[in-house]
Amino acid sequence: MGSMFGFILSGLLVGAAFGFVLQRGRYCVNTAFRDVIFINDFTLLRAYVLGLVTLIIGANFLEDVGWLGGNGQLYRQAFVPWANAIGGYIFGMGIVLAGGCGSGILYRVGEGLLAALVAVFGFFFGIMTTKAGLLKPLYEALTAKVVYVGEDTTPTLFNMLGVNKWVVIAVLTVAAVPFLLKGTPFKKAKKGYYWSTAGLLVGLVAVIAFWASAHFGGNARGLSFTGPLREFFLAVTMGDSQASPSLIKSVTMLGINVSWSSLYVLGVPLGAYISAKLLKEFKLKVPPANELLRVLAGGFVMGLGAQISGGCNIGQGFTGVSTLAVSSWVTTVFILLGNWTMVYFLLIKPMRD
Amino acid sequence: MSLKDEAPKETLDTLGRVCPYPLLLTKKALEKLQSGAMLKVLCDAPASAEDSIPRYCEKNGFGFESVKLEDKGYWELYIKKK
Repeated sequence: MGSMFGFILSGLLVGAAFGFVLQRGRYCVNTAFRDVIFINDFTLLRAYVLGLVTLIIGANFLEDVGWLGGNGQLYRQAFVPWANAIGGYIFGMGIVLAGGCGSGILYRVGEGLLAALVAVFGFFFGIMTTKAGLLKPLYEALTAKVVYVGEDTTPTLFNMLGVNKWVVIAVLTVAAVPFLLKGTPFKKAKKGYYWSTAGLLVGLVAVIAFWASAHFGGNARGLSFTGPLREFFLAVTMGDSQASPSLIKSVTMLGINVSWSSLYVLGVPLGAYISAKLLKEFKLKVPPANELLRVLAGGFVMGLGAQISGGCNIGQGFTGVSTLAVSSWVTTVFILLGNWTMVYFLLIKPMRD
Repeated sequence: MSLKDEAPKETLDTLGRVCPYPLLLTKKALEKLQSGAMLKVLCDAPASAEDSIPRYCEKNGFGFESVKLEDKGYWELYIKKK
């Protein structure tokens, strides 16, 4: 009974903490990437990079001190080059259409934005269509080619270079410092967090998620939203998350099989709702019909891309990148390129014409 | 005199609009306005009202003030084009 309580509470709390911080920090990777070319602003990108540095150091520290339980290792995704590149690019375009990244649309549900809820439904629809439905052949074709180091080792930045992983982490951290210092660390919006506070807290919650997923969920899966969102909706609609036991533990409550990760999917909008309520920013909002259709299509494109590439801006672009897996770094670069392509054609070019 | 006391040349309603429309429409409206003109924007997207639009204005040297109408759940943004 006690372990069941801890399982449920930890999942919900991790999600709620993440949602709270995302809402306070106005933290959205779509915005972070978009603003670089749309308004030449790097503020939110700095928050993203600071969060990444925090997570890279924290996650690998947990791995090295043996606090991850299970096999004791961070979950590093297989390198499927075609899928990582093409899926990442598609996902990057999708987040512009949907008006938010994988975590962005989820936290905005907690602000009362009904368009975000529509985007979440589209995201799930895209994931399922690609994983198990009409687009499954495309998914299987793109993920068929797997690249290993040696016989069966997943490529990472450190094993490809043949160095200790802390050498790579030190180089990345030192490289990030000048970029971070160019931003004024304590320049804030009116009620939200400073970008530096948001970046640091997002990183810390993700570190805690690694520990909690290992401790309560049986494996250091960390934060991600593509698989967990699928698991959440499958639990709700089918009564079974259908999560792979090798990836994350599930429990049965009220006759429903629920994975640990699907609990934090529920927690994110709850945490964002609490934050928005406290700031008096919660309000039910409905956009015009054409924008609702656009975000539905965008959500679907996000799901298609994220399922192919093995994750969204969090699963690959944050958690994955922190494990130093090559697959996650490649995916993230292509998410950025896909985002910029869509920003150019949807936002920049029409203003020039 | 603060910006909100000046008569706006134009009022832009972005209530309910999905990201990035509040920023996009504000940018478009400002590009059409003459230098020195005032734009009032109604916005209920927290990230746009408190983050994206103020940063865009700051980048471009535009005057910016905001008033949050907590009972109505939106912000009035006052932007003076440089």
